[in-house]
Amino acid sequence: MPAILVTNLTKTFRTKHKAAGLGASFRSLFRPEYSPVEAVRGLSFEMEAGELLGFIGPNGAGKSTTIKILTGILFPSSGEVSVLGYVPWKQRRKLAYSIGTVFGQRPQLWYHLPAIDTFTLFGKIYELDDREARKRIAYLSEAFEIADLLETPVRKLSLGQRMRCEVAASLLHKPKLLLLDEPSIGLDVVAKQNIRDAIREMARQENVGVLLTSHDAGDLEALCKRVIIINHGQIVYQDKVSTLKRSFLTSKLVEVRYAEQIPLNFCIPGTETLKVGKERYGAKLRFDTRRTPVERVMADISAAGTLVDITVSDPPLEEVIAMIYQTARRPDMAGQG
Amino acid sequence: MKKYFAVFQINLLNTLAYPAELVTRSGMILIFMWVFFQLWRVTFAASGSNSLNGLTLHDTIWYLLLAETLELGRPRVSRTISDQVKDGSIAYLLNKPYQFLLYELNNGLGESLPRMAMLFVVGGALVWVMAGPPPNLLNWPLAILALAGAWLLHFCTGALIGLAAFVAEEVSPFEWIYQKFVFILGGMLIPIDFYPGWLQAIARILPFSYMMYGPARLFVEPNLQLFIQILLGQAIWLLVLGGSLGLAFSRGMRRLAINGG
Amino acid sequence: MIRELKFLLSLWKTNLASVMEYRVAFLSQSIGMILNDGVYFIVWIIFFDRFKDVRGWQLGDMFLVFGVSASAFGLAGILFGNAFNLGDIIVNGRLDYYLSLPRPTLLHVLASRIVPSGFGDFLYGFISYMASGQFSLGGLGRFVLAVVLATTVFVAFLIIVQSLSFWTGTGGTFTGMAINAMVTFALYPITLFDNAAKFLLFTLVPAAFMGAVPAGFVHASSWSLLGQMALAAVGFLALSILLFQMGLRRYESGSAIQVEV
Repeated sequence: MPAILVTNLTKTFRTKHKAAGLGASFRSLFRPEYSPVEAVRGLSFEMEAGELLGFIGPNGAGKSTTIKILTGILFPSSGEVSVLGYVPWKQRRKLAYSIGTVFGQRPQLWYHLPAIDTFTLFGKIYELDDREARKRIAYLSEAFEIADLLETPVRKLSLGQRMRCEVAASLLHKPKLLLLDEPSIGLDVVAKQNIRDAIREMARQENVGVLLTSHDAGDLEALCKRVIIINHGQIVYQDKVSTLKRSFLTSKLVEVRYAEQIPLNFCIPGTETLKVGKERYGAKLRFDTRRTPVERVMADISAAGTLVDITVSDPPLEEVIAMIYQTARRPDMAGQG
Repeated sequence: MKKYFAVFQINLLNTLAYPAELVTRSGMILIFMWVFFQLWRVTFAASGSNSLNGLTLHDTIWYLLLAETLELGRPRVSRTISDQVKDGSIAYLLNKPYQFLLYELNNGLGESLPRMAMLFVVGGALVWVMAGPPPNLLNWPLAILALAGAWLLHFCTGALIGLAAFVAEEVSPFEWIYQKFVFILGGMLIPIDFYPGWLQAIARILPFSYMMYGPARLFVEPNLQLFIQILLGQAIWLLVLGGSLGLAFSRGMRRLAINGG
Repeated sequence: MIRELKFLLSLWKTNLASVMEYRVAFLSQSIGMILNDGVYFIVWIIFFDRFKDVRGWQLGDMFLVFGVSASAFGLAGILFGNAFNLGDIIVNGRLDYYLSLPRPTLLHVLASRIVPSGFGDFLYGFISYMASGQFSLGGLGRFVLAVVLATTVFVAFLIIVQSLSFWTGTGGTFTGMAINAMVTFALYPITLFDNAAKFLLFTLVPAAFMGAVPAGFVHASSWSLLGQMALAAVGFLALSILLFQMGLRRYESGSAIQVEV
């Protein structure tokens, strides 16, 4: 039985719009003008228990709306949703006992108090037994390495430390599903890595399903096995992350370094030179694998001089995804997901 | 001069762009005037005479209208200036080719004038219905002059409090004290004429009565002697407060130059 | 029921701890509020010094009315502080946080904040009662009961007014006016108002249940007054919960606020 089952979800908002000025203000009071906004259009997907699913899309794609519907805060215009066997907007409180949420931009820790106070309060909110709560807090503080941060007022913690505490708090009541909305927003590279590792570890140990929405493809790569790409309220792509990379990757980046200096117009046939190093010992190339076989390029590169170092990499996932957002409009891509 | 008028204009338009705020304040004055009317109607009726301490019911209510208009519509300079001092944005304003205090004065005027106008008109309509027409139009010029003086006094005090942010962490206590003194010694809720003698004497010495009682009283009973008295009092206090303001400002500038904001 | 009570106690405890983090601010706000209330009272002292009574209402009665109203106001701020800015919370989508947790939303929202100055108001109420010259042990018991019932009506009123934000989409402006009206009317002698006005004060703006009726009950025990207060408390509370739930449904349909997609 899937943890989340969404069938043909649709949500249309009526938003009032009002022009500037006194006259318009009065007018809108008596005859408001509405324009419909189709936030979600016929979305369907499933998520298994304990799965790590990523939900990625640009601003306005419908991610936040979908998450709100899944948590029962919003009810849809049409469609069916089942989360852990509950209809979210009808059984919101019951569902609340089994899910945890972390909204990157809406903290749940009390700002002026040490995190431990929020944890204790949450224990009461979720009706955990006192002793049970204490044991759980100890366990989570070790897992997230926040034990010595617990007594510090949250306002004094760094953003990375705060996020670790937030995620720990959301796991206090042993939820079966964790919904993370932009958890790594604003974090530096190290902090991002820390939190991703911690989430991944916990998810594995407790068999918690994780639904992650993010702008950051790095979150996706680190945490998710499967990804759903959403744009304009519809699913644009839905598959394993590994498949995503393989199907859409048609170019490679190569960085080379030679023992002797290379000419300014250094060029390898079939490739595009992106950059030549200042001291002209190295260069960065890109080539389309569909047009030029890798083998040929490698041979040409070795022949061009005494190769000292070489790095071959895929373009960043962002590029791939950005491309997918674009291809959504092309009819030949409509078949995907 | 033109640039200051532009400042005034912009703030005026800005204030008018938020009708909700104006409506709320107007609502408040309606509530206050209605309740005041009930109170004083009963009080005058109980006393059995038409005139108490030289004021009729009609006078008292129009007095209170003017007082409330001033209180609800006066410029909130202290908050503006203290915020600017505290977050250092005052430095940017000082870089501009205009005098800072004149700038804030015009700002305050742009904000305060439409508010007071609306409050007076809306509140006045209700008072007219309840207590009768406003005092004779011929009386108004004197009152308006005194009102201008009172407004300036409010501005100077507010600005002084705002500049106190250079030396104090929180200026809101001062703002609070000032407001309460105006309440009592400015005769905001009860005309000073009804006060016990000793309190009236104190009120006449301090600036607060010239900030509120003065124009309100002149509005309902313009008499030349009172007018001269009020104007003199306002002039004296304007000198004192204005002077202090100038001093505080230059001190503040020096502080800014030394500490770099 | 018991579960929610335990939860409430825990929430209040956490709240108190948060407020106590800033001990100085807490104390200064509370003391400031006591002083603030005192100033308004001075105005009444001046008034009653000159005008002995208002249709039977005297200074002693003012002490009582002030006492109950202030304590009720303060208690509302202490126990259900978010009642004062529920409108803002609704309009800014901050209800989401409470909705995703398994506790009754309204209760959770209201009790998640303490207004520190509320302690000052609450204390002042008792001081005012004790200074009224009508203090007695039995009276004190009635005072406490009256305050609890008055607080209920007041909080219910706040919920009703703020719940309108679900439909109007604006937060604070109308609310400020409503609170002003409520407090102003509560603090004026009820003998001032004619029947039509009195009707208003028992229904639309139930200030009578925050001031005059509880004060009357403290003055002299009466089953009729107690019954009235209890009925009002239950009635307004039921109405407020109903209205909030209706608004919540609208919120969950997404048409209440500008949503981020």
